[in-house]
Amino acid sequence: MKRQRLHFKLLFLLMAGLFALLAAYGAYSVLTYGNRWFASNRNPRVRAQKESVIAGDILDRQGTVLATTAADGTRTYQAREAARRAVVHMVGDPQGQVSTGVETFQTSYLYGFRASFTELVRALTSGEARRGDNVTLTADSRLCTAIVSSFDGHSASYCKRGAAVVLNYRTGEVLAEVSLPNFDPAHISETLKDDAGRPFWNRVTQSIYPPGSTFKTVTEAAALRSLEDIGSFSYDCAETPLTVGTHEISDYGGGSHGTLDLSTAFARSCNKAFAELALRLGQRRLLQTAEEAGFNDNFLFRDLVVENSRFPLTAADDWELAASGFGQSSVAASPLHMCMIAGAVANDGVMMEPRLLRQVTSPAGRVRLAFTSQVYRRAFTPEVAERLRGDMRLVVTGGTGRAAAVNGVTVCGKTGTADSTEDGKPISYGWFIGFAQDDDLPFACAVLVEDIGEKTSGGAAAAPIAADIFLWLRQHQREIVDAPAQP
Amino acid sequence: MTKHAPSRRLRRAATRLSSVVMLFYFSAFVLLGLKDYAWQAFALALAVPAMIWLGTNFLPRLFPADTLLLSLTNFLCALGVLVLYDTNPVYAYHQAAYYAVSLLAMICCVWAVRAVRHWGAAAWVLIPVSLALLAVPLIWGKETYGATNWIYIGSVSVQPSELVKVSLILIVSYFMSRRRFLPWLLFAVACLGALMLQRDLGTALLYYGVTLLLFFASSGNVPLTGLGVLGGAGAAVLGYRMFAHVKKRVAIWRNPWADYENAGFQIVQSLMALASGGLIGMGLGLGSPRTIPVYHTDFIFAVICEQFGLIFGLCVLAMYLAILWRGATIAMAARHAFHGLVAMGATLMIGLQTFVIIGGVIKLIPLTGVTMPFVSYGGSSLLSSLVLIGLIQGVASLNEDDLHEDMLLATGGEEEGV
Repeated sequence: MKRQRLHFKLLFLLMAGLFALLAAYGAYSVLTYGNRWFASNRNPRVRAQKESVIAGDILDRQGTVLATTAADGTRTYQAREAARRAVVHMVGDPQGQVSTGVETFQTSYLYGFRASFTELVRALTSGEARRGDNVTLTADSRLCTAIVSSFDGHSASYCKRGAAVVLNYRTGEVLAEVSLPNFDPAHISETLKDDAGRPFWNRVTQSIYPPGSTFKTVTEAAALRSLEDIGSFSYDCAETPLTVGTHEISDYGGGSHGTLDLSTAFARSCNKAFAELALRLGQRRLLQTAEEAGFNDNFLFRDLVVENSRFPLTAADDWELAASGFGQSSVAASPLHMCMIAGAVANDGVMMEPRLLRQVTSPAGRVRLAFTSQVYRRAFTPEVAERLRGDMRLVVTGGTGRAAAVNGVTVCGKTGTADSTEDGKPISYGWFIGFAQDDDLPFACAVLVEDIGEKTSGGAAAAPIAADIFLWLRQHQREIVDAPAQP
Repeated sequence: MTKHAPSRRLRRAATRLSSVVMLFYFSAFVLLGLKDYAWQAFALALAVPAMIWLGTNFLPRLFPADTLLLSLTNFLCALGVLVLYDTNPVYAYHQAAYYAVSLLAMICCVWAVRAVRHWGAAAWVLIPVSLALLAVPLIWGKETYGATNWIYIGSVSVQPSELVKVSLILIVSYFMSRRRFLPWLLFAVACLGALMLQRDLGTALLYYGVTLLLFFASSGNVPLTGLGVLGGAGAAVLGYRMFAHVKKRVAIWRNPWADYENAGFQIVQSLMALASGGLIGMGLGLGSPRTIPVYHTDFIFAVICEQFGLIFGLCVLAMYLAILWRGATIAMAARHAFHGLVAMGATLMIGLQTFVIIGGVIKLIPLTGVTMPFVSYGGSSLLSSLVLIGLIQGVASLNEDDLHEDMLLATGGEEEGV
């Protein structure tokens, strides 16, 4: 009997443990994923609220109204079609086709779910229709439009599908987010839904691509961190391809780079040298640095829904490891994440959480949310970041990224040309990730151009668009950087 | 005397608790009534608190009961009626009737625990009756949600596996307390077999868990219990391999969003409801709880969280835990091994069932179709939950009797001495 009592006590403790697990998991998941579950256009509660509450406005950082609700209750967007289209993936659309746009993801603000008790009572007694909160974004819609025209301006056939994103690397503010092809939120035709170009898809955040040579920033960071003899690294790049296992590795355009040190290998984007580095590093150390840069992490940013980036957890053979070293194998990242990596290099290795909300105000003008910047993670040490900055500068001054150079801006960057398959057909992606190393212009960008064909590289397809972005930033510098707060 | 002090304090706490509970339900039903001036809501505003008052103040006069346990169960049963009224009033009227009937059944159960002297005979009668009950749906059953576990008699439907829960606890406890291994083992295996054939895997899990834990409690045999756990895990893997609908449930659990419009619809709607409720809820009568599939049975916890919020949901969990604490305390105070096992078995049954269904609703574990004790809609479920409480209360009343006797003996002894 005495022992039975002890067992009863143990069983009760077991049950208490199970219940504690329920409570902890329930609280954790609702607090962590709550807004992601709630802010869906499949949530019937949101649909119901849309019947009774007038949605708030969406403004950009200059105060331009991107979306508002007309007197008759319909949602209207900017007057100019080009402007409407340029920001559509960021802002969203009335049907919620862009499932992660502000229109959907910030439902709780726009449709007044965050209203306080007193505000609800006031709205109830005043007899007027309730209004949702107004949301001001960190983005500048003019830059989004300029980026779209830049894509159009480089009228090569491949400039029809792609993505570009611009971040303030000190604060994490998203200044522009552009995905092509886009569509007009004021006229959503049914045919768009079956369009092979997937116009509703936000390629900046929802698509992950092989980063190709832009990933060499991460490989170089791993090498600088872990290989003791990296200072004396030199690689003799011969005409013949490098054979790893049963595969051959050659460089873009073939040919030989001659004898390279680490900086020149990086600037000229030598695949063989980085394959060699990856093999020397080994899977474990490369994976570690990649994960420190945010790969394989579950991105749970407050303002943005971002597809998680992937780095293979194990390498089946040397070839896979070598290919990971230059961003192939199954490495994949979204343009936003690659932009964050470039930003971290610029920001002494500190990666900021990307943010899209600058301010949220109640209909009565009370500030409900004000922008605060937050560190997402420390990706690189300051020393590694400094070395990377030098090498990324070399890419633009004398390497593969010369097309990104802009007068008056210290552009640093890395190009990439990634091969993959789409619907069974081979496809090439052109990349440029970079930043301005100027105190008055703390911006990083990533440009991705889809399906550039076999004859073009990221340096030719994506870098000129990045140059246009940096030029625009320089021209509008006074308007887009907040004055530092007075001490 | 010192032993009695905490129980008196608990009784006072229980009375205070039930006043607050009565006020809560009165105002909640009045609030719902003001929405559309339905007289039924006002009727319930009076009837539910009255039932709670009867349950906590009248029942202890019939037998020495654990009043805190009574208050907690009453609160949860009434919560079921309230949430059901808010989602579908017809269910609430039925549930209120089931509640009254189940309270009577609970009293009968308490009385039976006190009155029956020959549990051996009772167990041997219960075995064939239970097995027959479990066999009936296999012969005349109708399939619902992938399982064949209901009997239909005219317009009345009964779920025998709910009722057999009670006899399982009695039978297993009896033979375990007598150290007779074979009868309970064979009976449990037969029950599990029948449930497997009905494809009612959620209930099979409960039967298995409770039997195994009771075996541990009575024997303390860690190696054999461990073996049982391993066997259960093996059976789970086998079930996963063999049954397509188990495989589907697991796939939905791992990523409900992959097919949110079909397979994952239930759990996605449940998670949306949880998220929409947030910390303090959308408010009673607000939100769209009826869009959650099977909101009245399996997903009633999601409805509660949507209406009252996560904090209230956690409080409901705490109430279940308090019920388990009372149940375990009563089991520990029992004088006979059999009574202890019965009370603990009933406690474990309630606890495991609550864990399995709430865990499924919040996506901690794959969803299995069992009801939430006391709260979910359904006569069979409510009846079996309250009868289980009846078992615990019966043991509690016997404990009180024993304690009273001890006291009389002690004081009597002193008097003689003087």
